[in-house]
Amino acid sequence: MRRSVPVLALGLGGVLVAGLLALPWLPLAGGGYAVKVLTLLLIYVVLAQSYDIVGGTMGYVNLGHIAFFGLGAYACGIAFNAGLALPGALAAGMAVVMAFAALISYPFFRLRGAYFSLAAFGLVKLMENVTINLRWLTGGSNGLKVAAADRTLPMYYLTLGLAAATILAGWLVNRSRLGLAMKSIREDEAVARDFGVPTLRIKTQALVLSACFPALMGGLYMWYFNFIEPAQVYGLKIALQPVAMALLGGSGLVVGPVLGAALLYALEEFIWTHVEHLQGAILGLVVVLVGLFMPGGVARLAPVQRLLERIGLREDDR
Amino acid sequence: MDGTLLLQLTINGVLLGGVYTLAAFGLSLIFGVSGVLNLAHGEFLMLSGFLVFLVSDRLGINPFVAVALVSPLFFAVGYAFERLLIRPLALRKEHVRLASATLVTLGAALILEDGAAFFSLGTEFEKSVGYFLPTLRLGPLVLPSLKLVVFGLVALLIAGLAAFLKYTYVGLAVQAVTQSPRGALLNGVPTARIGAVAFGIGTFLAAAAGGLEVIHSYVSPLIGLPLTLKYLCIIVMGGLGSFVGVALGGILIGLGESFVGFLNPAWGQTVAYLLLVLVLLTRPTGLLGK
Repeated sequence: MRRSVPVLALGLGGVLVAGLLALPWLPLAGGGYAVKVLTLLLIYVVLAQSYDIVGGTMGYVNLGHIAFFGLGAYACGIAFNAGLALPGALAAGMAVVMAFAALISYPFFRLRGAYFSLAAFGLVKLMENVTINLRWLTGGSNGLKVAAADRTLPMYYLTLGLAAATILAGWLVNRSRLGLAMKSIREDEAVARDFGVPTLRIKTQALVLSACFPALMGGLYMWYFNFIEPAQVYGLKIALQPVAMALLGGSGLVVGPVLGAALLYALEEFIWTHVEHLQGAILGLVVVLVGLFMPGGVARLAPVQRLLERIGLREDDR
Repeated sequence: MDGTLLLQLTINGVLLGGVYTLAAFGLSLIFGVSGVLNLAHGEFLMLSGFLVFLVSDRLGINPFVAVALVSPLFFAVGYAFERLLIRPLALRKEHVRLASATLVTLGAALILEDGAAFFSLGTEFEKSVGYFLPTLRLGPLVLPSLKLVVFGLVALLIAGLAAFLKYTYVGLAVQAVTQSPRGALLNGVPTARIGAVAFGIGTFLAAAAGGLEVIHSYVSPLIGLPLTLKYLCIIVMGGLGSFVGVALGGILIGLGESFVGFLNPAWGQTVAYLLLVLVLLTRPTGLLGK
C-alpha cells in the first residue's frame, strides 16, 4: 500500500510544480479564455486564503470578510477617479480598509462565537445600504465606473502576485508567534488570556492583516472590470464563497483554502455552463453537503494527507 | 414635528416591531437551545407566506384561517430540519460546529430561495392576499385596523408561548437547556429531543409570522435572508436568553425604521444594523443580556 504512493505522489508533485511554473507563462501561450478563468480563480484564492487567517487559524467565523473587499473596491475606484495612479489608488483603498478593520475590531471582538459571525454578516448588509445611500460618492445603486481599458494581462499578473503573497502570508502566520497566539485563542480564549496572551490586541492584528488582501483584491477587481455595483461586491453569494471554499478545502491549513477555491470554482463553472435552472439551489445543496460531511475539508482526508506528506506540503495540524 | 405626527409614527413603529418580534422569538428559542444561528429562518417565513397565499387564494378560505391551518405544519418541518441537518453537527468542536452550521443553514436558505423563485415564476413575483378592513380614525390619528388585528394575534401568540415556557414540562425543559445543556442533561432532560422540539416551535412561530406578513404586507422569494438578518439583529440587541429583551429589540427596531423611514426613506432599512452596532458598543451582551 505504502509502496505505491511514492510514484503517484512524485507524479502529482511534478505536475503541481510544473503547473505552478507554467502559470506566469500562460498568457504567452495565447490562452485568452484560460487567462480570464484563472484570474477569477486567483481572486477566489486571495479571498478564501485571507478569510482563513481569522476564520481558520483564529477560529472566528468572519461572515463579514467580503465587506473589506467591497470597501477596498469602492475606496480604490473613488481614488482612481480622483486622479490617482493605480498604485496610489490601491494604497489609498488599503489604508481605508485597514483603518476600518482596526476601528470595527473593538466593538466586534467584544462578541464571541455565533454573535461575532452574525454581527459581521450584518456589517456587510450595512455597508451595502450605506453604499447605496451615499449616491454622491459611490453612484448609489447605479454603480461606480472607472475609465475603461483592456487590462486582462496586467490584471492576471497582479492577481497572481497577490495570490502568491496571500498564500505566503498565510504560511508565515501559521509558523509565527502571532499564529500561535491566534491558535490558542481558537482552542480556548479564556485560558489563552489567563496565560497572558493579549487577546484583544492579537485579534485586532489578525483582523487588520486579513483585511489587507481583500482590500487590494477589491481595488484590482474594480480596476479590471471598470464597473461595480453594491450587490456585486456585497452580495450574499460572494460573501458566502470564501467561507465555503475554506471549509471545503480544509480550514486552518494553508493548502486548504487554495484547494477549496479550485474545487468549488470548477464545480460552479460546470453548473453555470451545464445546468439550465436552479443553479443557486444546486450551489446551496453543495454548501449544505460540505457543512454536513466535510468538517475537516478535503485536505484532511486520509489519502490527501498521505499525498501531501509525500510532496512535503503536509502541515502540523494543531 | 408636532405631537400627533410623533404619536402616529410611534404607533406605526410599535405595530411594525410587533410582527418582527414574533419571528425573532422563534429564532431566539432555536439559538438558545441549540446554539445554532438558523440562517434559513426567514426562508421558512417566506415559504409559509406563499403557502398561506396559495391556500386562501385557491381554496377561497379566509386568510387568517389559512394561517391557522398552514403554520402548525411548520412545526414538523422545523423538527425534521433539526433531526436531519443540525443534529449531526452537535459533537463537533465549537468553531468547526459554528462554521458548519452556518454553511448548512445558509445552503438550505439558498435552496429554498432559489426553489421558491423558480416555482413562482410565470405569475407575479410578490404575493399578497387582498384582505382589507376599514381604517379606524381616532381624532387626527389613523389606526390601520388590519395591522391592529395582526398585532393582537402576535401578542396572543407571544403570551401563549410565555405560558407554555413557564407552565408546561416541555417549556421548562426548553428553558433548562437554554440555561445549561449539561445541567439539564444531568437532571434527566432529553436534551436532543428538546432541541428538535424547540426548533419545531421556533419554525412554527416564523411560519405564523409569514402568514401574517402575507396578510398585511407581501412576500416574495427574496425576503428571507434580509429578514433573517433583521431578526438576528433583534435577538443580539435584546440579549440571549432574554425574551423581554427580544421584544424590546423588536419594538426598538420597528420604532427606528418608522421614524428614520419617515425622515428619509432611503435610510430606513439601515437602522437595524446601525442600532445593533450602537448597542454592541455599549453593551456587548445585548440590552438585557447577562
